[in-house]
Amino acid sequence: MTKTFKRYLKLYGMFLSQYLKAVMHSRTDFLIGFLAFFLIQFGGIAFIALVFRQIPDLMGWSFYDLLFIYGFANIPRGIDHMFTDYLWLLAGNVIVQGEFDRYLLRPIHPLFQIIAQRFQPDGIGEMIIGILLVVYAASKGGIEFTAGKIILLIVMVIFSTIIYTSIKLILASIAFWTKRSQSILFMFYSMSEFSKYPLAIYHKFIRTFITYIVPFALTAYIPASYFLGESSLMESLGLTVSISLIALALGLFIFSRGIKQYESVGN
Amino acid sequence: MENMIEVKGLTKTFKSYKKGKGLSGTIKTLFKREVTEIEAVKDISFNIRPGEIIGYIGANGAGKSTTIKMMTGILNPTSGFVKVDGRVPYEKRQENAKHIGVVFGQKTQLWWDLPVGETFAILKEVYQVPDAFYAEQMKYFDEIFELSEFMGQTVRTLSLGQRMRADLAASMLHNPKVLFLDEPTIGLDVMVKERIRKAIKDMNKRYGTTILLTTHDMSDIEELCHRIIIIDKGQLLYDGGIDTIRRDFGYERKIVFDLRYDDAEVVGAILQQMRDEIQGCTPENMTYTLSESQLSVIFNRNEINISSIMNYVLQHLNVIDFSVKDMDIEAIVKRF
Ligand SMILES: Nc1ncnc2c1ncn2[C@@H]1O[C@H](COP(=O)(O)OP(=O)(O)OP(=O)(O)O)[C@@H](O)[C@H]1O
Ligand SMILES: [Mg+2]
Repeated sequence: MTKTFKRYLKLYGMFLSQYLKAVMHSRTDFLIGFLAFFLIQFGGIAFIALVFRQIPDLMGWSFYDLLFIYGFANIPRGIDHMFTDYLWLLAGNVIVQGEFDRYLLRPIHPLFQIIAQRFQPDGIGEMIIGILLVVYAASKGGIEFTAGKIILLIVMVIFSTIIYTSIKLILASIAFWTKRSQSILFMFYSMSEFSKYPLAIYHKFIRTFITYIVPFALTAYIPASYFLGESSLMESLGLTVSISLIALALGLFIFSRGIKQYESVGN
Repeated sequence: MENMIEVKGLTKTFKSYKKGKGLSGTIKTLFKREVTEIEAVKDISFNIRPGEIIGYIGANGAGKSTTIKMMTGILNPTSGFVKVDGRVPYEKRQENAKHIGVVFGQKTQLWWDLPVGETFAILKEVYQVPDAFYAEQMKYFDEIFELSEFMGQTVRTLSLGQRMRADLAASMLHNPKVLFLDEPTIGLDVMVKERIRKAIKDMNKRYGTTILLTTHDMSDIEELCHRIIIIDKGQLLYDGGIDTIRRDFGYERKIVFDLRYDDAEVVGAILQQMRDEIQGCTPENMTYTLSESQLSVIFNRNEINISSIMNYVLQHLNVIDFSVKDMDIEAIVKRF
């Protein structure tokens, strides 16, 4: 077990170092991507700031509370973006073009091969912005970070990331049946935007939907609310961990059922 | 163990659903889907012993690649089963993958964006090839495939011949017990083909590797295979030695002439006359087709003298070029 893990880790490192080399080669691409990303983030933050110039607080949430949630949302999103971006291609052309064949011919788990196929440096920016916003909002908003809370934050981020990845995995795996599933993946992925703001501002239907059905609420608002003193540890961590594990199990199950169903293509 | 590969009653039926046109069509297909079934492989059985080199042949769309996909674990059969080295490939996919090597000539198995050198370093880790054996293999591949010529290039920049050499080397790196080669010589020039055949023979001799290959090139078969399996429209036609085929069908020759002419009808009349002028030219022993200034004559070498055909055509028609072809696989399949 640990031997397999080490082997996969080493393999991932080998792929990663190749991508980083390639990224360094096309530095302009990298810079342009970075710039575009900062502009988008800036827009989001400016929007929150603008709203708070009109109203001092939003249903009891202060500006810094919102900034904290907004920042937190970017961390798991960025990490997932970095590592599992190739799932978008699984939902895209990989199955229609029979590219999936190759993953079935190597003595390594196909999902690992898909994930190792790409590293997306854009995600680093998202994660860094997220961390900066969380630290800034916490210090301005008077949230005390003890060592215990930092560890808890990391744990929450890990499980929130699992939720992101699992949702992508489930929706991308639908392509085994439908050949392509990029549009449905895109549609649901867009709902992650909802998680950047307090749930209370939404209609009850949306709240339930993004907590239990497509659980993006668990990637930002729900874990963040614990640190903002709005929910208990049980409510936030408990829900996040249990739903993320259910989502992951479901994702792996659908993925492996999909492989059984895979029909390849004729030439 | 007696058999390295065991195939029994193997059948694969693809279902495809017709998609309706436009929105109304899409909605209709939601409720009632029209299914068309393609029986790509029908009830095929054969056994292959360790160390055999088998030519798996058939016309386009006969079901060769589909069979290989089931033998390598990519596809699940609709019915019947496959065993490779005692394992059912589509049930024990990863375990099976450790012991086989696969090349699909039409499509690379390598990572598009990685340099060739790095590809092999990664494959070493994937298949856990010991250091000493890895060094030995790489040295050998460099000799036979001249890999160092393009070791630093990324796979996407390779030429077809280079890519095929890299793909073959990659499939052999971990010294698999069985090699599945689906059209490993497609689109290659004679030199590269020769090299690839040599490597295949070498692997078989050195390690007793069992090899199953598909090809449309009869000389691949003649040079490599002890035994051939012919399939057509998904069904087994022939399984046996190459000698029988050579005896039964080797008499067939094909000459292709490039002609220059003004009136196709005149040429047609001249060809029609050939039947009367040359002895033994019954429709059974000789057929010809004329299309776009190319004339193909297929005849039985045992019944008709090649020189009489050559004489007649050269005398009566304006020939720019000609070539004599060996029996080809498509023609053999048609004869069954
Ligand atoms: N994934 C698929 N889905 C639907 N039909 C398929 C699929 N793969 C193959 N077929 C069909 O099954 C039949 C056999 O195809 P296959 O690719 O096995 O032929 P082949 O013998 O390898 O031909 P070729 O010499 O052209 O490579 C063809 O009619 C093909 O269209
Ligand atoms: Mg084929």
